[in-house]
Order: sequence, then C-alpha cells, then structure tokens
Amino acid sequence: MSGLKLSLVLLMFLVLASQFFISETFAEASKDVAASALTDAEGVVASAYQAVLKAEEAGANISGLLVQLNEAGGFLARARMAYDFGDFEEATGLANLSRNSGIEVENAAVKLKDSAFFERVQRMWFMMIGSIVGAVLIFLGSFWVWRVFKRRYNRRVLMMKPEVSSNES
Amino acid sequence: MNLEDYRTVFATGSLVLMLIAAAPTLGLIMPFPSGGERFSELWVLGPNHIAKDYPFNVRVNESYNVFVGVGNHMGVPSYYLVYVKFRNQTQPLPNATSSEPSPLAPLYEFRAFVRDSGAWEARVTFSVSNVSLYGDSASVNRVIINDEAFTVDAFSKWDSEHNGFYYQLFFELWLYDQASRSFIFNNRFVSIWLNVTTS
Repeated sequence: MSGLKLSLVLLMFLVLASQFFISETFAEASKDVAASALTDAEGVVASAYQAVLKAEEAGANISGLLVQLNEAGGFLARARMAYDFGDFEEATGLANLSRNSGIEVENAAVKLKDSAFFERVQRMWFMMIGSIVGAVLIFLGSFWVWRVFKRRYNRRVLMMKPEVSSNES
Repeated sequence: MNLEDYRTVFATGSLVLMLIAAAPTLGLIMPFPSGGERFSELWVLGPNHIAKDYPFNVRVNESYNVFVGVGNHMGVPSYYLVYVKFRNQTQPLPNATSSEPSPLAPLYEFRAFVRDSGAWEARVTFSVSNVSLYGDSASVNRVIINDEAFTVDAFSKWDSEHNGFYYQLFFELWLYDQASRSFIFNNRFVSIWLNVTTS
C-alpha cells in the first residue's frame, strides 16, 4: 500500500515537473521565434529603406513609401520593446506585421524605381534632342543673322561718300 | 567698331546662346554639386509645442507631455532611431567628445524615416511611479512612457544646492548606416531635468 502511495506521489511530482519543464521549453522556443522574427523584420525593413533610396535616386516620388515605412518602423519599435518586456508572442506578431509592411514597401519601391527610370530616360532623350536641336538652330540662326548684318554693313560702307579732308600742315 | 569687332560680338553671343540651349544636356553629363553641410537635428519641445514650459516638478503618478523631433538635412531620406533613457544625477550621459552613447539601457524607442529637408515629431507622455522617499534619498522604480511601464532602479540623493531629487529624461539620436547595415549614434542628444516630488 505504502509503495502504491509513493508511486502515486512520484507520478504526481513527475506530471507537475514535466509541466514546468514543458512551459520552460515553450517559453524558450517562443523567445527564439520572437528573436528570429525580429532579426528578419529588421533586415526586411532595412532592405525596404534601401529600395526606397534607390527609387528616390531614380527620381520617383517616395512620399507614400515613407509613410508606409514609418508604419513598419513603428511596428518594429513596438516589437523590440515587447521582446524586452518578455512578451514574445506580441513581439513575434508585431515583428511579422513590420516584416509584411517592409516587403510591401520594397516591392512598391522596385516598381516605382523602374517606372521612374523609364520616365527619366525618356525625359533625358527629350532634353538631349531638344537642346541639340536648339543649339543647332541657334548656330544656323546666328550665321544667317551675321550674313544679313555683314551684307548691310558692307552696303552701308560702299554707299558712304568719300570726303576729302585737307591737310593743312 | 569695325567688322572684325562685330564678328567677335556675334560669335560670343551665339556661343553663349548655344551653351544656354545645351545646359540641360550638359547638366546630365556634369551634375552640379549639391553644396551645404549634412547633418541631423534633434529637439525636444514642451507640452505647448514650444521650447518652454517643460515639465520640471514631476509628481508621482501624474502624466506629462513633451514632443521629440528629428530634422533631416543629410541630402537623402534617412532612417533614424530615437532612444528614450532615464537617469539620476550620477548615471552617465552620452559622451559628446568621444561620440559615445550613454551605456544605460533604453526604455522606449522610436523609429522614423524622414525625407531630406523634412522633419518628424512624436508626442512623449511620461510619468513616474513606485517612488520611495526616505530621508535625503529617493528611488524611482517605474517610469511609464506612452502607456508602456518600465522598471528602473534610479536612486537619487537630495540636491541641497538646487533643492530637489533630480532625474533626467533624455533622448539619443541614432542614424542607420548603410555601409555597416546598423544604427550608429549620431552624437546628438537632448534632455529635460525632472525634480521628482511626492506632493
């Protein structure tokens, strides 16, 4: 009988102890998941930022992307603080929100960059052709004006009456 | 003026006009350097959005507002991190000479993407709680910033010169560095002094 009691007590102890170890393991696992989600989100947001910089360099209007990036940054900051508090579930959720926003921004930035680049190339060609044509027209125009001017100048010189001035030295 | 002089004037005028016409294309080949110093600004404003009426005599469990802001003059959109830290009179501030941040752990953080020549601002609502006063010593054990409660261990001695238990709420500016792919302390911080009182 006493052996049975001892076994029961031992069994109960094992069940309770296993719950403690299981919860510890779960906590450790969720901490790792949260840390990984945070690192991932940090990387995605940084890449999105770089994509936005490239889009801006290509001449795109990035106002909307910056608003979205600020949202992603806000989630990331809150995720980081939740992690520091030990709220790993909240940290993971917020990090994933940040990551998703970052991916959206990066995709949009790449599209914007491509279209801005295309527009820029078009504008560049237009500008180059316009300025070359303008320079050539100015050159030809100047040449024509010069010829007209020269002709009139020469005519005026030829129509001048020579005057004899006395040299009374 | 003789014909030679007129020709020189015509040639010079034509050349100037041609250069003006070609300026957009020349601009593409030789981009004009964008001058000016590149820097970032960090500021803290009082509750009325001006640089006065900052919270000073802080009562336990009462909320106070300030505004923290960042200005970007880096020539490109920039990614900033603002850390909010809390210290007593003996704990270290950032070292402006060696460009080192305060070693204190940040309580709260803001992340902001700011366009060039743009600014970002956020409200910071804070309060202190779990304050113990005993004799000429005080200990603040909790700081609440924007509804997030942070446990701190900030012990302060009575400052007989200025009559109070003094603490400092300060903000550090960090800037994302693309080369190292990490945030670097921008050697800028702003702070407000707080005299913690129970009455």
